[in-house]
Amino acid sequence: MTLLEIKNLKKIYTARFSNQQTEALAAVNFSVEEGEFVSIMGESGSGKTTLLNIISTLDDASSGEVYLDGNPLSKIKDKEISAFRRNTLGFVFQDFNLLDNFTIKDNILLPLVLSKTPIEEMESRLPPIVRNLGIEAHINKFPYEVSGGQKQRVAVARALITKPKIILADEPTGALDSKASQNLMEILKGINETGQTILMVTHSIRAASFSKRVLFIRDGAVYHEIYRGEQPADEFMDRISDSLKVLSTRGEQDE
Amino acid sequence: MNNRFFSSLALRNIKSNKQLYIPFLLSSTAIIAMFFLMVSLMTNKFVQERSSSLPTLFMIGVVVIGIFSVIFILYTNSFLIKRRKKEIGLYGILGLEKKHVAKILFFESLFSSLLSIAAGLLAGLLFGRLVFMLLNFMLRMPNDIAYTTSLLSVGATVALFVLIFGITLLYNISQFTFANPIKLLKGKQEGEKEPKGSLILFILSLIFLGWGYAISITIPDPLAAIEKFFLAVLLVIIGTYLLFISGSIFILKALKNNKRIYYRSGAFISISGMLYRMKQNAVGLANICILASMVIIAVSTTITIYLGSEETLENRFPYEHNLKLFGDMDYVAEMNNRFFELQDEVIELTEENGLEVAEMESYRYESFFGNLEDGSFVFEQSSVDGDLPVLMMVIPLQDFNGMTGENYSLADDEALFYHSTKTYLKEDLSIGNKTYSLTEIENEFSADMALTESIALVVPDEAHLLDLREDYMGQFPESTHITVDAEIGWNTEGTEAAEKALAEQLESEYNGVSGSFSRYESRDSQREEWYSINGGFLFLGVFLGLLFTLGTLLITYFKQISEGFDDRGKFQIMQKVGLDENMIKDSTKSQIIWMFILPIVIATIHVSFAYPIVRKLLLIFGVTNDMTWLMTFIAVVIAFAGIYWMIYRVTSKVYYSIVK
Repeated sequence: MTLLEIKNLKKIYTARFSNQQTEALAAVNFSVEEGEFVSIMGESGSGKTTLLNIISTLDDASSGEVYLDGNPLSKIKDKEISAFRRNTLGFVFQDFNLLDNFTIKDNILLPLVLSKTPIEEMESRLPPIVRNLGIEAHINKFPYEVSGGQKQRVAVARALITKPKIILADEPTGALDSKASQNLMEILKGINETGQTILMVTHSIRAASFSKRVLFIRDGAVYHEIYRGEQPADEFMDRISDSLKVLSTRGEQDE
Repeated sequence: MNNRFFSSLALRNIKSNKQLYIPFLLSSTAIIAMFFLMVSLMTNKFVQERSSSLPTLFMIGVVVIGIFSVIFILYTNSFLIKRRKKEIGLYGILGLEKKHVAKILFFESLFSSLLSIAAGLLAGLLFGRLVFMLLNFMLRMPNDIAYTTSLLSVGATVALFVLIFGITLLYNISQFTFANPIKLLKGKQEGEKEPKGSLILFILSLIFLGWGYAISITIPDPLAAIEKFFLAVLLVIIGTYLLFISGSIFILKALKNNKRIYYRSGAFISISGMLYRMKQNAVGLANICILASMVIIAVSTTITIYLGSEETLENRFPYEHNLKLFGDMDYVAEMNNRFFELQDEVIELTEENGLEVAEMESYRYESFFGNLEDGSFVFEQSSVDGDLPVLMMVIPLQDFNGMTGENYSLADDEALFYHSTKTYLKEDLSIGNKTYSLTEIENEFSADMALTESIALVVPDEAHLLDLREDYMGQFPESTHITVDAEIGWNTEGTEAAEKALAEQLESEYNGVSGSFSRYESRDSQREEWYSINGGFLFLGVFLGLLFTLGTLLITYFKQISEGFDDRGKFQIMQKVGLDENMIKDSTKSQIIWMFILPIVIATIHVSFAYPIVRKLLLIFGVTNDMTWLMTFIAVVIAFAGIYWMIYRVTSKVYYSIVK
């Protein structure tokens, strides 16, 4: 079943004091099935983050539409947008975006508190998630007291606790060392295996190799896509890197 | 690298940290202006000359504002420097030595202190001039009160604030000298740690507050009140800071532990935010609370004094016309004749002026100083050094019955007895060579008798007065001023013009004649003078109220602005994970109970406990009516709460617009 469908998505930025326009997204079309783990790759400035921001409802499209479960996101009223974000989407950011005034536990519970979830419900959802992510021992610490890898796992826990339809991850390994990255990606893969849909934007070939499908985006459009199928991770990595190479050489020929 | 480089770097730092420096400089300027105004007021002519207790009270004001300035500037500075740790940590990483960083900090302090001291002095001067002009106009002062300032007050202000900024500089340098760059880079993230031994601090705060309150409650008389007022104020201020620091953390933690309260969106965000900067939060609230108490006390007491002017006049001049007759040392017996003659004289004069004598009271009395010692009153020379002796007024029964309309009769060894403190419980009192058995009466005399410990003794006849005088003279032969004096007071009925004419005639007849032993005072002619003095008090009270309210405004504004910038990032993150605008409003709303209700309630408690001591101080200004003070007190509390509510609303809108 198709969970997320992106049709003809366009985003044009206009500078405030001139008519000069920058096209961030030209025409993006793709869809994500339920239970998929999709990576979006591309160079800086290719429009990855703009795309993710529009899917996250943090930004508006100039034209085109994003459908989640068949419902167009642009039809959600302003009043409901925060609740929608809270209940249907889970976010993992490059710079973690944890709050220093909350303990790890409270950081994870934040979206539930905002949704006015009963305390019993919150407390029953917390233990399995922190156990799976291996941050059980730290839940009463503050974010500045734990390592980067642990912080990102806290962010993943915060994304998971609302049981979102889809997790949107923006360069989740961007601020982590290789060991912590490896660990985080294994966790995301494990989460995906339980049926959770994940859409991730990344630079890292290694990170992308954990997903089931990789989309390549260039100059604001989906340029290419490859499926992992039954391939082992190493081979998939090679294919990703080959694709990237082709992508960049063709790009230079174009210019 | 020379100083020019460092000074220009420092200047650029201040410019690029505008968001932090503008509120800091504004509030430093305000506090400097406030201190400067207070010092100038202390040396103001009106304050110095009108009442001997005013300079003392303003001295207290100066010290309180001084302490307040130290705490406030240290507090805003620590807030500022915490936010800049990352930037300054970066200098270390970029290879600047610690002494270089210290130099940059020095120039930054130099510029910001120069700027705020200069601006503060200027603002103080302008504000003082303008508000004095405005108040002179609004209160229609008969004689304008001039705002004056002197080099001395400028010097004192500059000296204090150079010292304070010096301390902040040392604090800032120590912050960077003893920390490693990595820690500095992270400095901003870390929450404040709970102060050590917060339970002890809490107990200490209760001790200080209790001590301060106890001084106020147990104060015996107005002169002691002036002496102890400062100590009580100081204790309560210290107690308030400790209470807010320990108590608020205590309550916040308890709230955090209560899951049903804590895990609700509004409380969740605001409680965690307040705990994150718990000390800063507590000091800010304590500042507001102290300023609120000062506004309430300054305004309500001066309004009471002003409203009580009429009553004060009546206390001091019980009748429209008052004639005092001073006894002659050598011709004590003649005094009696003069006393009765005068009464006939003034009645005659009154009627000559076409007026009718409505009421008349006259009595003779003798005053002694001495001390109560085990059943006897021991005479003392009326010297004013050391402990104040007890004042005793002796009145013959005939005069007492005449003035009160009572019909007491006394045997030769009996006396009527009034004691202001009611601490003398024996049945008999020896005085000189006599022992009287006492019958207690209420204060039928002047309200001034409650000012210090005083006794009124009504003896069977005037022969007793002479005997007592003889005993006293036997003990202190050189004494020159123990005589029998007399008061004659009467009211008249008739036209106003006639009243005035009578007053003028009496004045020329009995006053200013050399060698005369009498003095005449008309209540009407005193009224104007009295109102101008009390109007002056009201003036000062309104001025101080305005000053402190402005202080409250600035502190609340600083608190909201700085916390707004502090919280902006957090709210942005929370919006990303699904915080909507209504919830931001919710969380700012749930701070109301802290920001608004807590300081006002504690200030009201402070002022309520200050009631006994303030009441005693008011007696010095002749106010004896408790109701007036109570009503003004309630009105001022409500009015200030209203003003503070507006301040709170406006500043929390500022906060909201920053975090949104």
